[in-house]
Amino acid sequence: MSCAEELPASEPVYAVRNLTYTYLGRFAALSGVSFDVRRGERVALLGANGSGKSTLLKILAGLIHPTSGHVAAFGKALTETALMEEQFNRDFRSRVGIVFQNPDTQVFSATVREEIAFGCLQLGLPPEEAQQRLDDVLRLLEITDLVERAPFQLSGGQKKKVALASVLVMNPEVILFDEPTAALDPRTQHWLIDLIGALGEAGKTIVVATHDLHTLADLTDRALVFAEDHTLLADAPTPAILADPAALLRANLIHDHRPY
Amino acid sequence: MTRGAAPPRSRADTPAWLVQPQAPLRPGSRVGRRRASFLERTLGDGAEVFRRAMYAEIDGSRGALQRLDPRAKLVALVALLVAVALVHSPLTLVVGYAAIVAVAWAGGVPMRSFVRRVWLVVPAFTAVAVAPATLSVVTPGQIVVPLWTWHGAPQGLTRQGLLAAALIVLRVACSVSLVLLVTLTTPWNRLLGALGALGVPRIFVTIIAMAYRYLFVLLGNITDLLMARKARTVRPPDHGAGDRRFVGAAVGTLLGKSHHLAEEVHQAMVARGYAGRHYALERSRFVAADVLVVLAALAAAVVILGVDRVLR
Amino acid sequence: MHIPDGYLSPQTCAAAYVLAVPTLAIASRRVSRGVTTRQVPLLAMFAAVSFLVMMFNIPIPDGTTAHAVGAVMIAIALGPWAAVIAVSVALLFQALLFGDGGVLAYGANVLNMAIVMPFVGIAAYRVLAGRSALRSTRRVVAAGVAGFLGINAAALAAAVEFGIQPALFHTADGMPLYAPYSFAQTIPAMALAHLVVAGPVEGILTGAVFAYLAKANPEALRGTHGDLVTSPDAGASRPARVGWSTPAKVAVGFVAALVVLSPLGLLAPGGAFGEDAPADLDLGALGLQAIPAGMARYTGFWRHTVLADYGAGGAHATLGYWLSALVGIAVIGAAVYAMGRLVGVFRGRRATPASAVQD
Repeated sequence: MSCAEELPASEPVYAVRNLTYTYLGRFAALSGVSFDVRRGERVALLGANGSGKSTLLKILAGLIHPTSGHVAAFGKALTETALMEEQFNRDFRSRVGIVFQNPDTQVFSATVREEIAFGCLQLGLPPEEAQQRLDDVLRLLEITDLVERAPFQLSGGQKKKVALASVLVMNPEVILFDEPTAALDPRTQHWLIDLIGALGEAGKTIVVATHDLHTLADLTDRALVFAEDHTLLADAPTPAILADPAALLRANLIHDHRPY
Repeated sequence: MTRGAAPPRSRADTPAWLVQPQAPLRPGSRVGRRRASFLERTLGDGAEVFRRAMYAEIDGSRGALQRLDPRAKLVALVALLVAVALVHSPLTLVVGYAAIVAVAWAGGVPMRSFVRRVWLVVPAFTAVAVAPATLSVVTPGQIVVPLWTWHGAPQGLTRQGLLAAALIVLRVACSVSLVLLVTLTTPWNRLLGALGALGVPRIFVTIIAMAYRYLFVLLGNITDLLMARKARTVRPPDHGAGDRRFVGAAVGTLLGKSHHLAEEVHQAMVARGYAGRHYALERSRFVAADVLVVLAALAAAVVILGVDRVLR
Repeated sequence: MHIPDGYLSPQTCAAAYVLAVPTLAIASRRVSRGVTTRQVPLLAMFAAVSFLVMMFNIPIPDGTTAHAVGAVMIAIALGPWAAVIAVSVALLFQALLFGDGGVLAYGANVLNMAIVMPFVGIAAYRVLAGRSALRSTRRVVAAGVAGFLGINAAALAAAVEFGIQPALFHTADGMPLYAPYSFAQTIPAMALAHLVVAGPVEGILTGAVFAYLAKANPEALRGTHGDLVTSPDAGASRPARVGWSTPAKVAVGFVAALVVLSPLGLLAPGGAFGEDAPADLDLGALGLQAIPAGMARYTGFWRHTVLADYGAGGAHATLGYWLSALVGIAVIGAAVYAMGRLVGVFRGRRATPASAVQD
């Protein structure tokens, strides 16, 4: 199942070249973006509201496709036609998980149990194995007592955990997070940061879209900064980015009166 | 709109009226107390129903009826509904209703709400609607209570009319009670699973489950809209046109929102490998007690119809 | 309009299921055959919306309420087969969770509100909208009228289901076993309530939501309106025709159609509407909680002032029917006209289309 064997260590998980994305043919969301993501890296996509980082995350998840430019995942072109091929679709979906910002869009089943089992069943795991994984991930995230609940009976933090569980249960190689700490209370935020750290140590590749500078250093090693004209402004180790107020100011991530 | 274009705002840029404090609160009011508008009450009722559904589902598995397989309960429900529908004598239905209440009581169903939910609704809807049918102008027959004469012929309540009205009212009460008996003792998601197991296509079950799930999200959205409106309403609400306009806008927004939500949910599904196929995590077992329930229901149906033959 | 268990004979319910189940099967095949898998969440959302629309009891001037169904609205946005599924799902919730509408009668309710209603509505919409532009007033009015006709067709279907009960199912001594009212009572009662109350509500809702979607979210209509949805700013430059000519024409045409259709009610056998008490309105079936006071006044008006001096028998009955039909038609004509005006005003206020960029 692991693609570590198929992939040379140096081969990037993602290779993005000159990527451009426009909504409805005229609203730019990303323009001329190029970068690589290597195996095991923890990368932040940093930008103000509307700078296109959520769009980029969805492109990396193979949910939408660039207007122009090229994206390769695991050494294979990531295009709409490629994903129509059943084998590649299955391989790709089982390797790449995405945790959406709004857990209400992600937690769509009638109960927590069905929600978490959804991905396993879609990938064709036998029900017994799906059940085993379900139990394990529930224990890992300490939500075993929620298993029979309906999503509307959950708090925001619990919903986020269920969303995370539904992705982790598929054991992805790459996990994409969209604003993971937004709208969580401080305790849940810390718990989540620890979990993402542990996942990184376990060798997972992690991409986080965020504008939260406080959690950045804990979550990531490298940061891509997006400007408000949707271009890539900087690509450097996270500490270097945080030490460069000029770049952050240009990305409109900080206020000149009030550095973060 | 873009934060980058605007120069950084300092306090000096803030308009004067925005930093001005408001006059202190005055005690009492000349306009009278603000009454909840029709719309607010409807939405409040809706939210209450859902809140009840929400907590009702948490305590699922106490009592004998709760433990039964939902498939068995659904099959039994349909058998008994058909039997009740075939009954011709109001007397049979009186006995039948007593039996249903007894089963509910034995099964640990909260009695007060079980009886109240039926008898608050049935008289208001059914009894009023069938009342005129007791008159000879609608149901001709043997006049038992003459009320007036029409061209020399006495008119009034007929035996046939009264019996027919009693029959309908009792039948509606029994049918509603039977459905309640199942829904009050079965968590919604298990009922849904049972629909799938009884041959309802998986795509339907998925849509039903998802619709139920997003009902709450969308209801929350409307409630938020209403709250936002309420928070900005200074004058007492108008109870007609304003509400109607709000409903139009709310439904429009709701559609737009649901469309956007559907798009995102679809992406979330695809990201986890969804390709149009639907699977169930099978886990319910049909045990002897469930078979027994189905057989008992069928037997009860036969008994009801037998009693009815004697009584009619 | 939700029929509870107990009003219809099991035979009628079975017949309704025989019609409803294959239609649902076809609908699910048609819908899942679509190129994308996008339909599943979309249908779920629209089912939820339909449920909420039915929950929204809209206040009417009498102090009572009426509710719309939303079936025609969904049919216009997603196609009639999608509406079949979405409304069926909403009805299933109501039957199982809220005891609103029966389990045995579910087939009949699906037939009326989830099958008859969207198909009649979409047919009317296609005929009335013709090849007009997506944002033309005509299309909005067509959507409104389609909603009005759809819910009235559903009400008629329900009235027919009720009306056949006493004739087909009664004991030897004439005791009706199920719904006790004949065609002559159910059809005028349902027609009046839906022509005057629920129909306009549904019509205005359908028209207003269509106008909203065409303006704010034309992508939502792409599935059913294909090439009419061209670019985000299609039609924006064209000034809206805000005037009274179009609504008036539509209203007149509508009244003419109703006048032509009215004699159909006279074909119903026996009885006379003028003789019935207002309580004949089948309240459970109408989803109303009390007799609309306005209607009670109207029927009282017929009986005591207008009809009292007329002779007995057939003339009396026919006259009663005609009077109620004429008032109904006048009210509808006014409602359609008002709706047209409303839409015109609404569209006149239209701002330039704002398409939000997503983050």
